[in-house]
Amino acid sequence: MAEKPRPLHDKVWSKLDRKATAILELTLRQYRTRLSTWAVLSVGVILVLITVLFYIEAMNSEIEAVDNDGDSVDSDGDGYPDGQENLLGTSMNNANSHPGLFDPPIPPDSAEDWINEDGYDFSSAKLGTSQGYDDDGDCRVKIGEVGWSSWVDENRNNISCDYFFEMRGFDLEVIADPNVDEDPDEDAYFKETLHRSFVLGFGKIGFVFVLGIFVPLFLASGLIRDEIADGTLHYLVAKPISRAEILLYRLLGYVALVWPYFIALAVITGIITGFMGPSDGFFRFQDLLVWFGIALAACLLSLAYAALFMTMGTIHKYGMVAAIVFGVWEFAMAMLSIFEPEATVSRLSISHWGMVIVDGFSNMAWPDSQYLIALGESTSRSSDSPWGERIYSDGMPGTEAFSSFFHTTDLTGNPLQDALIASGVLISMVIIMLVIAQSVFKNKEID
Amino acid sequence: MMPDIAQTGQVAGERLPQAEVPAVMLEQVSKWYGNIIGMNDISLAISGGVTGLLGPNGAGKSTLFKILAGKLKPSQGTVRLFGIDPWKNTAPFARIGYVSENDALYDWMTALEFVTTLARLYGYTREEARVKAERVLEFVDLKDVMHKEIGKFSKGMRQRVKIAHALVNDPELIILDEPLQGCDPLARTTIMNVIRELGAMGRTVIISSHILEEIERITEQIVILNHGRLLALGNVHAIRDMLDAHPHSIALSTDRPRELGKAFLDHKEVFGVHFPEEGKLIIRTHNLGALHADLPQLITDSGFSVTAIDNPDDNLESILTYLTGGGD
Repeated sequence: MAEKPRPLHDKVWSKLDRKATAILELTLRQYRTRLSTWAVLSVGVILVLITVLFYIEAMNSEIEAVDNDGDSVDSDGDGYPDGQENLLGTSMNNANSHPGLFDPPIPPDSAEDWINEDGYDFSSAKLGTSQGYDDDGDCRVKIGEVGWSSWVDENRNNISCDYFFEMRGFDLEVIADPNVDEDPDEDAYFKETLHRSFVLGFGKIGFVFVLGIFVPLFLASGLIRDEIADGTLHYLVAKPISRAEILLYRLLGYVALVWPYFIALAVITGIITGFMGPSDGFFRFQDLLVWFGIALAACLLSLAYAALFMTMGTIHKYGMVAAIVFGVWEFAMAMLSIFEPEATVSRLSISHWGMVIVDGFSNMAWPDSQYLIALGESTSRSSDSPWGERIYSDGMPGTEAFSSFFHTTDLTGNPLQDALIASGVLISMVIIMLVIAQSVFKNKEID
Repeated sequence: MMPDIAQTGQVAGERLPQAEVPAVMLEQVSKWYGNIIGMNDISLAISGGVTGLLGPNGAGKSTLFKILAGKLKPSQGTVRLFGIDPWKNTAPFARIGYVSENDALYDWMTALEFVTTLARLYGYTREEARVKAERVLEFVDLKDVMHKEIGKFSKGMRQRVKIAHALVNDPELIILDEPLQGCDPLARTTIMNVIRELGAMGRTVIISSHILEEIERITEQIVILNHGRLLALGNVHAIRDMLDAHPHSIALSTDRPRELGKAFLDHKEVFGVHFPEEGKLIIRTHNLGALHADLPQLITDSGFSVTAIDNPDDNLESILTYLTGGGD
């Protein structure tokens, strides 16, 4: 019986696919039999878990509340805190003027009621839009009083008791009327910024850089080198399959192990921090986008490093010596990307582009971050306000950490585009390294 | 174009178009490792039958095979497998099975998994590969242990796994680098039978060894390599005749060497005896075969006890030195 010839696409695709799955499966099963694989992956999990424990510990600690505007004090000793007296129009410096003398008399508030009583209120922050709400009423009480009209609109945007954001040079600044949102909840602010700092800092350093470089260092550098050293490479090479294909499928086997690993770790950490982090609801859904960016960056970065280390291992069995030198450079550039994002030299590294991906997604997930930082950094709104002088001078707790881990991406100004460009750069690096690796491997004699 | 995830497709048109080209062809092939010559100007064409590649260790047998397997690039000359350069194109390997001298295997796999996995590199589906793997494992007599891990196999079983893996694609050309090395007598017999059977099936088989007797038991067509050069090529009998003219030695270990030596001097094929050390006797002869035939009887008749019989001279190196007239 004559066999019906199969369509060409079936021949090409399915045969390629059979060889690909065969090598992919072999690679995965090889990983499974090696103790080192399990050691490397477990160390990664342990590192992540320990760091998450530190995060949980920090989330459960409390920052002491500070009375930033000093209005919980009872200056005249009549039992009424200054804030209450100011709101109700009695004198805070005269013990014989207090709301207890009203008819009917108003009982005094406790001092705690006038601590953290005027939190930050801002939503969908944009440059120039009116923000803020004077929760404790110490600005609004002056509206309509003769002589106070310029005071309640000190920022001259024709809206009383609000503030807006403005760019001054390269800095985002808060331009405020006095006594608006001047006594925020330190603990809430600290938790929010700490949470975001943790997600970004741990995401960038722990996931994207440390795991992103060490996992491929241990798991990818031997993809070809170990086969040469073990003398088993000829089982793959003396077959009707090109050497470039072998490289590609070996790398795919690595990807099949490492990508699910990174994604699972990011999902687990994302879920734990999503539930543990400060939130109005029960879960911080907006963080999922950042974790997606972190997982994407870790996957692409670990692929780029894998392609590089596999190439080094193919070129020479001691190619890993070069990888160590290279690792130092990548570490320096990763740190530069995180703490000095304006430096363009870091674009010459692989790690930088992973950081750009995380930045892009965090910009999308938390578009209010710069404003949150600007608020935390603003220390004093107006010198002539009765209690507008903040008692801390270095900004709110947590601001500094957050501002060092968060930055806006600056390639196109659009965070999604920047993340896509960075992904494209990393994928191009992988392709270039595969081209180099295959031309080296093709001409390599195997003894 | 969908990938064949289910792996159920058929492999068709696997064979390259049949052309009138020899399976193996080498033209003035040389290979240097730095200043060391691995192969020196070898020209050779092999097509059909079993060919024994004979040479002492370091003669260039493995180098030749590695060049054929596409692992090494010849420094000079032309290599063609079915008319195609194996260094530049892996297509001929669809028709070739290669057994390396290297004993490394994926020890954590079972024999069946090993052969099946590698069979898939020829483009067979999972099922096809498995059927073929079972068939070749049965062919090399490993069917009953094919579900065991290779790491637990004896040397002879490992060699047979390697041979099975090389046969899984029904190759027209089979290259076996020292397949008998380190095998126990039973495994040797099995492997030799397998090779003879392959030859009988019309395949081209090239087998290397540094032991003449091994090759002799499998094939009559031999190629002799020494120091990277092609020494002789042809029927083993012609070479055998040359060898028989070469003086041989037999070493006996006995507690009474001198008395035993006297008894041997009466034999017509013995032209000399000497005593290199205490308890050792060496007999010199021009006809090793005839002397070996009479040896047991001579020892029994003499009444002395002999603890070991060796052929110290009977390694290929000394024969080749004799053949090439070297050494002096």
